[in-house]
Amino acid sequence: MATKRLLPLSLRLPKPSSLISRKYHTPSQPSPSPFPALETAILTSSLPHIPEHGFTPTTLRLGAHAQGYIPASQNLFPQGAFALVHFHLWRQREALKSCVVVKDAGKGVGVGRKVKELTWERLLGNREVIHRWQEALALTPLPSNLPTALQELHALSDEIWYLAGDTSVDTSWYTKRATLSTIYAATELFMTTDKSSDFKDTSQFLDRRFEDSRVLGEMVGSVGEWVGYNARAGLNVLRSRGVRI
Amino acid sequence: MASRTLRPLLNRSRFQCLHTQTPRYLSKSTKHHSAEAPNQSTPHERTTHFGFETVAEAEKEARVAGVFSNVAESYDAMNDFMSLGIHRLWKYIFPFSPPFLTERPKECEGRSRTKANPQTRDHFVHSINPGTSLPTTSPSTEPQGWKMLDIAGGTGDIAFRLLDHATHINASPSSTITISDINPSMLSEGRKRSLSTSYAHSPRLSFLLANAENLHTVPSSSIDLYTVAFGIRNFTDKPKALREAYRVLKPGGVFACLEFSGVTNPLLDAMYKRWSFGAIPLIGQLVAGDRASYQYLVESIERFPKQEEFRDMIKEAGFHVPGKGWEDLTGGIAAIHKGIKPVEKA
Ligand SMILES: C[S@@+](CC[C@H](N)C(=O)[O-])C[C@H]1O[C@@H](n2cnc3c(N)ncnc32)[C@H](O)[C@@H]1O
Repeated sequence: MATKRLLPLSLRLPKPSSLISRKYHTPSQPSPSPFPALETAILTSSLPHIPEHGFTPTTLRLGAHAQGYIPASQNLFPQGAFALVHFHLWRQREALKSCVVVKDAGKGVGVGRKVKELTWERLLGNREVIHRWQEALALTPLPSNLPTALQELHALSDEIWYLAGDTSVDTSWYTKRATLSTIYAATELFMTTDKSSDFKDTSQFLDRRFEDSRVLGEMVGSVGEWVGYNARAGLNVLRSRGVRI
Repeated sequence: MASRTLRPLLNRSRFQCLHTQTPRYLSKSTKHHSAEAPNQSTPHERTTHFGFETVAEAEKEARVAGVFSNVAESYDAMNDFMSLGIHRLWKYIFPFSPPFLTERPKECEGRSRTKANPQTRDHFVHSINPGTSLPTTSPSTEPQGWKMLDIAGGTGDIAFRLLDHATHINASPSSTITISDINPSMLSEGRKRSLSTSYAHSPRLSFLLANAENLHTVPSSSIDLYTVAFGIRNFTDKPKALREAYRVLKPGGVFACLEFSGVTNPLLDAMYKRWSFGAIPLIGQLVAGDRASYQYLVESIERFPKQEEFRDMIKEAGFHVPGKGWEDLTGGIAAIHKGIKPVEKA
C-alpha cells in the first residue's frame, strides 16, 4: 500500500531502518480510495461537474444527486469541498501507474527522463480542471487541509521516483523527493495562468526547473548543505501552497 | 417570572450578580418540583437512569417532564450560568489562552442574547448548512426547500437559527421546520418566542407535542434534516429514538445531534466534574430555586455515553456516519454527532 511509503516531508536524515525496508518494496499496487465506498461513489460522480462548478459544495451535491442523494447529504463530507481536491489528487496519482511511460519503459530511457515525463503526465492530469485549480489551491492552506495536501504531494513525488525505477536508498532519497515536490508545486501553480496552446509555456517552465535542479543537485554535496537545501525546498513548497512563511 | 426580571441584570454584570443579588432569588427556592413522586415501580418494570438514580422507565418520563416544567421559564437564566461556568473553567485552566477560547460570547447583540453558547449553536447550524439545493436548470423550477424537524426543540432557539440560515445564507424561503418537544410548557414557550421572530404565524413553522421515541404522526422518509440539541441525553430509550429518527428521514437525510459529552481531556474532565457537580446545581438553586432539577441536568450529562459509544449507537440504528462520526467542541465538553440515512440500492 502506498501509505507505507508515505514518509513525512521531513528535514531529518533518513533512518537506516526505513531505507532498508524500502529495498523490499513491492511493485506499485493500486492503492485504495482514501474515502469509504459511499463517499467514493459520490466523489466519482462529482468529478465530471468540476469543470463547470469547480471545487465547490455545489459539485459535491451534484455528485450526490447522481447517486440518488438529496442535498442534505453534503454532511457526509466534514471537510467540505476539500474532499474533491483530495479525491482528485488521489485519482490522478493512481492514474500514473497505468501511464505509457511506465509500461513501455524502454531500456534506453534513463530514470531522469522518466521522472520528467511522469511529472508532465501528472500535470496534464489537471488539464480538465486547470481553470478551477486555483480554487483547489485556495482550500489547501487551511490548517485542517494542509497536512493532507502535503502528504499527497509527497506521495506523488514518491510514486514518480518509484515508477521511474529509482531504487537508490542513499541519503539522496529525501533530496530527490523534496526537489521533485518543489518543482511540481511550482509548475502546477504556473500552469493555472498558462494561456499558451497545449501548455507549451508550462512545459518550458518545467524544463527550466529541471535544469535548475540538475545544477543544484551537483552543488549539494555535504550533509550540511543538504539539510539547508531541503529546508529551503520545504519552505518553498509551503509557500507555493499559499502558506505565508 | 424569574427569567424576565433576571435577564437584564445578567447581561449587565454577570460576574457580580451572584454576590449582590442572591437574597432575592433564594426566596424563590420554596417552589417545589414534581419529580420526586413516590417510587411505585413494580419489580418487573424496566428501569432506566435518572441522573445517577435508577428509576422505572415510565417514571423517568414523568420526572424528566417535571424537570423541564420546572426550568422552562428560567431556562435561559440557567443556560447563561452553565455557559458562564464553561467560560470560567477555560479561564481558570488557560489563564493566558488566546481570546477565542476565553472571550465571552457576545450575547448582548441581537436575538441570540436570550441563549447561552450562541457560538456553539451557530457552529452546529453552520456545519449542517441547511437549505442548500442543486443549481436550477430552468428559471421556472423553484428549488425544493428542506423539511426539517427539531426534536426536543424546547424554546425553538435551534429551529429559528436553522430557518434563518436556510433563508438568508442559502436563499431557501421554502424550507420549513417542525419544533417538537415532549413537554407542553417548553413548546408553548417556543410558540411565545416565535411571535417575536419573522416566522410568527408562518406556515414555515409548526409545533408538535411528541415523545422522540414515538413520532407516529410524522410519515416515514419525509424529513431532510433531524436535529436534536442538548436533548437526547434525556431520552429514556435512546436506541428507540434513533430508530425513529432513521424512519422519518428521507434516504440521504441527515441526523444531527448537539450534546454535552464525555470530556476527552482527563484533567479537564476532573475539573469539569468538580465544577458541574458542585457549582451548577447551586447556581441552579440560586437562579431558579430548584436545586434537584439542576442536579438532574448535571448528572444526565455525566451519564451520557462517550463519543465513540454514541457514534456506534447511531451506526447501530442504520446510519452511515461521516468521517470519524463526531466533532468535538470546546475541548470536548460538547460534541456534534451526525449520521446519514443511506439510499437503498435496488
Ligand atoms: C435541555 S432542553 C434543550 C432545548 C433546546 N433544544 C436547546 O438547545 O436549548 C431538553 C429538552 O428535551 C425535552 N425532552 C426530554 N425528553 C424528551 C423526549 N423523550 N422526547 C422529546 N423531547 C424530550 C425536554 O422537554 C426539553 O425541552
